Amino acid sequence: MKKTVIIIVNVVIMVAIMSFVVLYSGSESRDSYQRQIEHFEDSTVTMEQVTENYLESEQRICDIWARYINNKTMTMEEAADYIRASHVLENTSAHLISPDTLTGLSTRPKQGTDDDYAVSYKKIDLLEDTSWIDRIGESINITRAYTNPMNGEQSLAFCNTVELYNPESQKSETAVLMRVIPISMLEQKWVFPQTELVNAELAVIDADGDYILKGDSFKNSSLFEFYKSYNATDPKSSTELFNKITSSTGSVPMINSHKQECILAFTPVSASVGWTMLGLMPAKDLDVDTENWLLFGVVSAGLLILFLFDLLCILYFNKRLQIAAREAESANKAKTDFLSTMSHDIRTPMNAIIGLTTIAEKNLGDVESTGESLRKISLASNHLLTLINDILDISKVESGKLKLSPLTFSIVETVENLVTVSQPMIKEKNIEFSFHTNQMEKEYLYTDQLRLNQIYINILSNAIKYTEPGGRVSVDLHQDKSDKPGYVRLTYVVADTGIGMSPEFMETMYQPFSRQIDSRVNSIQGTGLGLAITKQMVDLLGGTIECQSERGKGTTFTIVLDIQEADRQREDMQLESVDVLIVDDDEIMLQTTVDILESLGASAEQAPSGLEALGMIEHRHLSGKDYDAIIIDWKMPEIDGLETIRRIRSEIDETIPILLISAYDWSDIEDKAKAAGANAFVSKPLFRSTLYDKINDLIGVESKSIEPEDDYSDLQGLHILVAEDNDINWEIISAILSMYGITTDRAENGRICVDMMRTAAEGSYELIFMDVQMPEMNGLDATREIRGLEDPWASSIPIIAMTADAFSENVMECLDAGMNGHIAKPVDIKIVIKEIRRIKDGGGQL
Amino acid sequence: MKKIVYMLLAVVMILGLSACGSEQQEAAPEEGFSPSLDTSTECQITVAGGYDNFEALEAEFDSFNEYYPNVELMFTKVDDYNNMIGMVLDGNDAPDIYVNYSWMYGREQYQSSIDHAENLADPALGLDLDCIRSNIMLNTSDDTLPMVPVFANTYGMLVNSSLFEKEGLSIPTTYEELVEVCKVFREKGYENPMMGYSKEETTSLFTLSAYPFFCETMADDAEAVNKFNALDSSAGEYMRPTLEKEMQFLSDGCVNLDACAEIEDNYEAVILRFFEGDVPMMFCSGDTVSGTKKRESQSEAFIANPFEYAFVPVPMSDEGTTFLDMPNLQFSVNKDSANLDMANEFMRFLITPQELNEMAQNKGLMSPTKDLSFNSVYAAFGDVPESRVLSPEVIGLTDDAVIQLRQAVYAVGTGEMTIDEAIDSFGTFTE
Repeated sequence: MKKTVIIIVNVVIMVAIMSFVVLYSGSESRDSYQRQIEHFEDSTVTMEQVTENYLESEQRICDIWARYINNKTMTMEEAADYIRASHVLENTSAHLISPDTLTGLSTRPKQGTDDDYAVSYKKIDLLEDTSWIDRIGESINITRAYTNPMNGEQSLAFCNTVELYNPESQKSETAVLMRVIPISMLEQKWVFPQTELVNAELAVIDADGDYILKGDSFKNSSLFEFYKSYNATDPKSSTELFNKITSSTGSVPMINSHKQECILAFTPVSASVGWTMLGLMPAKDLDVDTENWLLFGVVSAGLLILFLFDLLCILYFNKRLQIAAREAESANKAKTDFLSTMSHDIRTPMNAIIGLTTIAEKNLGDVESTGESLRKISLASNHLLTLINDILDISKVESGKLKLSPLTFSIVETVENLVTVSQPMIKEKNIEFSFHTNQMEKEYLYTDQLRLNQIYINILSNAIKYTEPGGRVSVDLHQDKSDKPGYVRLTYVVADTGIGMSPEFMETMYQPFSRQIDSRVNSIQGTGLGLAITKQMVDLLGGTIECQSERGKGTTFTIVLDIQEADRQREDMQLESVDVLIVDDDEIMLQTTVDILESLGASAEQAPSGLEALGMIEHRHLSGKDYDAIIIDWKMPEIDGLETIRRIRSEIDETIPILLISAYDWSDIEDKAKAAGANAFVSKPLFRSTLYDKINDLIGVESKSIEPEDDYSDLQGLHILVAEDNDINWEIISAILSMYGITTDRAENGRICVDMMRTAAEGSYELIFMDVQMPEMNGLDATREIRGLEDPWASSIPIIAMTADAFSENVMECLDAGMNGHIAKPVDIKIVIKEIRRIKDGGGQL
Repeated sequence: MKKIVYMLLAVVMILGLSACGSEQQEAAPEEGFSPSLDTSTECQITVAGGYDNFEALEAEFDSFNEYYPNVELMFTKVDDYNNMIGMVLDGNDAPDIYVNYSWMYGREQYQSSIDHAENLADPALGLDLDCIRSNIMLNTSDDTLPMVPVFANTYGMLVNSSLFEKEGLSIPTTYEELVEVCKVFREKGYENPMMGYSKEETTSLFTLSAYPFFCETMADDAEAVNKFNALDSSAGEYMRPTLEKEMQFLSDGCVNLDACAEIEDNYEAVILRFFEGDVPMMFCSGDTVSGTKKRESQSEAFIANPFEYAFVPVPMSDEGTTFLDMPNLQFSVNKDSANLDMANEFMRFLITPQELNEMAQNKGLMSPTKDLSFNSVYAAFGDVPESRVLSPEVIGLTDDAVIQLRQAVYAVGTGEMTIDEAIDSFGTFTE
């Protein structure tokens, strides 16, 4: 499904949800609004009852007065006196008005006078028609609000008709009795009791719509005028509306004088025919939809955030997927390329092995030719093994199962090995090679030597591999103090003048299967795994690797590692008082060697060339102070080391000890050096311990060495059970072990192995080398069965896997099955011996 | 492209949401008025008057509340206003502002209404009195100003402009044109070219037509005015030209008095009769004009056949029309008000051209300000030359004297008296 469709579907769903929320919210709001209106209507009805009760109570007072007056024959004055006497409220009064003259008496004097009780309603349109005044007790007879002519206060009056005796006419005449109450007094009481209706106001209208009582919101003198003033209507509609208002209970919307939408609630006043109680309230006070909008807002915002979040996630994951797809594609291609390369790289040494084997078979009689073929077969085999080991390493790295196996080792030995390993390639490519060490004070270090070697060899072999013949490769290794106590900082710098790397390739060079696309590179053997493995190893050892490179100019790798010092170091390496001359055209080498010799207690002099050295040696010889030893570099300008030695021997002294040094392969010049008169040879770089040992050898002093001897006597007589179904493999391991005095029994498969162990006497075997993939019963099942044997010796016998299943998960499977170790085929006899010793020393006990 | 579509969708949603959440902006208070008191002041201001309702003033209350939201303003109707206002002012319900009238000034029975009034000419109050036409301002003996006009009044006639246009006639500006127009309308089948209320003297068609003419005859004769005001019996003769003009008008056949007699009152009935649409010209006062707008919706005839109309001066003179400029409602501030500062603040707010014109427009009455052009109904009065703008206030005619004229005119117009009898009765007429 296209992203656009997904987005549109999302938007449609969101719009649908929001529409639902709006509609639902609107519906709820309308329902709520309707309920509020109904509540307002109910409140108006309640207020009608409250009002009615109040009006009735006020009317009853007027009724009592009227009945009393009617029961007596009273003049207007007497009636006024009676009411005056019965009055209790100061702010109310009573008026007795003759309907004929619209004049009469008030119970209270006119404002500003003390004795003027005359009152006139002539100018007040109130009593011209008194037909609305019912008989006493039958209803509430109340006037509209009007201005009290006695004090100017807005008032209303409860009325009754009374019969008063007129002394002048000597007749009884009807008069209107008015109990006059100020509006202000009523306003204090006449409000909705509920706080939520605080803005609601009340009014009472008569059948014509004229107000009898009204709150301030009710404008005009008539409700109907008020309605028509602010609401568009036509005569017919307004008539219908007014009929509805004056004849039923309910509510209608209307606009008030503030142009606000209001609800007008109405209900008939039951106590007085034609009257209607009104309630008026702004609609917004009833419309409580704020929360719904809040809900809508929250839902909308939430959906929008969700939408944007999803959108960003989709875009992000799409991008990630695209990257992953590209990477997968790239990795796939890389693996295809790798397999292609591997095929080539495997076939090449295999071709050599097969071809040379054929040649050797044909020339069995020619020992020299056969030996040469076997040497080359060995080289090709080693290359093949390296290739396979690389694959194993990268497998371990990728699965995160690469573990360190730290041990004490000599950095000197490591460097020597490094030089040795690289010599053939240097020689083959005729590369100018130099190796400088400096301040290598701590010879014995504690780390995974194998991985350190791997790092150093990978970098150096790459430098050599990618440097054209005639180019230069230099190595600088020095020790510094580390920030971590008990550690030294080893800085390993390999610089070459090779083909260099492009910036683009440098960004991905540490990724597996990465090889620079370059016609020059394609011709060079490689798996594209070296740098990836190196980087992982460096990371594992907690170091850093940096690279500076320029295409066509060369590359410099710098590796910095903090490595723990070994507990033991060679101590007291002090030469007896010896006088040494060092001859080399390399000034750095000269100075470094002088420093080392002086630190060993020797007296050292230096000569930058053979000729100068000859002069110095002759001068000493003539003065009877021959040097105790002379160290001469092989490759020097003018006359090289061999020529110099030759001249020393022939022209000066035949006995003086001479040590030839070189960064190149000793084997090439060994014969010539011996012929020239060199006493010993040592490879560059020169280490403190190497010099100490060699000089002592030269001057005939036994050096203090902590190096273990290559003594395999401890292995003599060991008896090992080998479970191996393959005859050739059995033959190889059996033959190799026998060279160390180890005897073996064979079990052709796992079943036989288990049976043999079941019947073997205690101590028959030191350990078992167990192949994994075997017929009938594989090595894993066999191990499990052996571990389950009743005989404690048999069930606890050390079992070492010896298998071509060399991946990390295979190792784990073996260990999980109960094995004590793992040796990958093709077997390295050194590793085998090491494992045997480990087991023998108790490292493999269960 | 896709990203643009997504963005657009998102923007639309955001805009939609913001539209849902937006609230209506509250109207900003009008410019021009700047509050001088604490706008959070809480108090109640009552304005008393004789109107049943005063929607136009309540609209001003709303505007004032935009500045002073906590001031509660209220209009209260006082029954029998003219007689009661004095008592109200002395009583417990005394208003802060109240309606006053020029004619109350100088009359003892209304003295309380004047005595309670603050002097609004006091510059400290800051009222913009210059915006009001000077000839309707009350002239007092001590140069105080107890009241200030908020509406003006005049006499004239409502003209059915649509009808004039339909018949191809122009609104008359001289008496001769008036007679001619009436003649043409009659010929075209209009039975009543002019109508007016005639049942009672108050704003009857006789008064409305004669009084401006009379003022014109007296305007430049101070001695005559003095004698007329003194109700000197000989001053009745000053009415003769007016009464003769009245008779001429009636004899020229412009009005049918029998038809006019069917109009029941001088307000609603006059308007509804005019809205019937068959009367080209209807005598009325500015007070009546104020009721026309509201009654447009109450007249089924007008709803069925609406038309354009205007209020114009009646051309009773050959020299042209006369604008009889009179004050109508005036406001006084109760100097004993408990909230005198706020009452004055409201007056300062109200007495400006903008607010007075607004209130007059809402009420349908003539504005007291110098600019009448804003209201098309009264615009014609603004076109009357200044020399023909007359004001009883300026001329100096007293109300008691004017009552004599009005009664005489009514008596002659209705045929109760001859001209001579009316002149002889000068000084004896009662209201």
